[in-house]
Amino acid sequence: MSQSERMIDIAGVHKTFVADHGTVTALEPVSITIREGEFISIVGPSGCGKSTLLRLISGLDQASGGSITLDVSGRKRPVGFVFQEPVLLPWKSIIDNVRFPLDTSGVSRAQGDKTALDLIKMVGLAGFEKALPRQLSGGMRQRAAIARALSDDPPILLMDEPFSAVDLLTRDNLNDELLRIWQSTGKTILLVTHSVEEAAYLADRVMVMTARPGKLKCVHNVELPRPRGEETKLDPAYHALVAQLRRDLRTPAGEAH
Amino acid sequence: MSGRFSAAIDYTLALAVLLFAWWFATGPMALPTYLLPSPLKTWNALVTIALTGELWRHLGFTLQNIVLGLILGCIAGIAIAYVMTRFPKLAVWLDGPLVILQTAPKIALAPLFIVWFGFGVLSKIVLIFSLVFFPVFVGAVAGFRALDPKMKDLSKLLGLSSIQRFRQIELPAAMPEIFVGLKIGAVQALVGAVLAEWMAGKVGLGYLMTFAAATYKTPLLFAAVLMTVVLGLLLHVALTILERRLLSWKGAVNG
Repeated sequence: MSQSERMIDIAGVHKTFVADHGTVTALEPVSITIREGEFISIVGPSGCGKSTLLRLISGLDQASGGSITLDVSGRKRPVGFVFQEPVLLPWKSIIDNVRFPLDTSGVSRAQGDKTALDLIKMVGLAGFEKALPRQLSGGMRQRAAIARALSDDPPILLMDEPFSAVDLLTRDNLNDELLRIWQSTGKTILLVTHSVEEAAYLADRVMVMTARPGKLKCVHNVELPRPRGEETKLDPAYHALVAQLRRDLRTPAGEAH
Repeated sequence: MSGRFSAAIDYTLALAVLLFAWWFATGPMALPTYLLPSPLKTWNALVTIALTGELWRHLGFTLQNIVLGLILGCIAGIAIAYVMTRFPKLAVWLDGPLVILQTAPKIALAPLFIVWFGFGVLSKIVLIFSLVFFPVFVGAVAGFRALDPKMKDLSKLLGLSSIQRFRQIELPAAMPEIFVGLKIGAVQALVGAVLAEWMAGKVGLGYLMTFAAATYKTPLLFAAVLMTVVLGLLLHVALTILERRLLSWKGAVNG
């Protein structure tokens, strides 16, 4: 938490949808400032607006009001986005997929290959450059998706339940790899998850959101020492935080469905 | 590899049985030549026109029409399908006329095409085009509509231009469905080409058939029919090779 530069400034952002029966509030006004290099977890039940918030930050959807300011000095692609599914192009090999953001922004093939190979190595897919997505396991595909999101070096990485489709063991591994990638790249990461354990294990701060209507309930600072690993999961402070997050989510609003 | 080899043996065996039955009907059973010419007489007729160069002129003409009709039909089918999926409001306007055109039997329109576009190449290509267009169009619409919405998110995140989006994401994603339409269209194209030549003109395999039938040159008729079969096989092989190249990422492509 040494950095103090504001990377993402969210001020009173809210989102309503027009549905058949009138308007639906997907997200009540949220305000938070996220510092450069910070790792934020967003945890909450379905329908709490956590994915909506991520889509608003990425520019995929427009907010109904409020403002989001990214300190990214006019970059064309300020954010990398990792979806719940890998969303790789199935007709392209892994290296072509990872290089895709570079190919489509006019980076030379040689430079693109170099960057893509480095990233593939970093996410642990060395040797699978020429493989097609369907030849890889779900966890490996998600690694490739992370490499792609990082390929044009965005300062911000947004991840929408990236590991919810992989088995628990793979998930633990991917969490550790993500921490390693975060530490070596210094990205600002926002990760949406259903899992309070994952949220507590990874983050500097955990945003707890509740559903119907979706709103930010509270933000917890995570004071667990870094680097984190298996010993973190034995730390009483970690367990206390996980229990606290559970209690936060188990309010009437969270239990209403 | 051994599977492909045994398939080749099966094909050859089936062909041999067919050839034997043909020979048996004309030889021991002694069917007259004007009803069923023997394999040898048919072969001789084929060799004769091949040597005079007549065969290549007719075959070339038919093949050229098919290829042109296929290419134009594909481009138009994909283009209109894409425009309709990109602009759903336009689809409301175009749906009605397209359904009417699609259900109209194109073969029945063939005489009309001749009246409109004359006895030459144009009326033939128009007929083939109309037969290829709809299956490709229907396949392409299905392909474009089935695009994963997350792919749209991806192109938006990457700020892709319309051309990049079409070339890099939408077209390859729709290719399997487009190919289903194209394979149906190719069979239709051959039918349309031969039919158009029956009705008008002085060149093409279809013309060769009507000429041979009218002059009771049954061996020549058989030779022409055989050539259309060969043409159909060639088209099938060409499309299968193309499919293997374009859609190998789908995994097992059945030929």
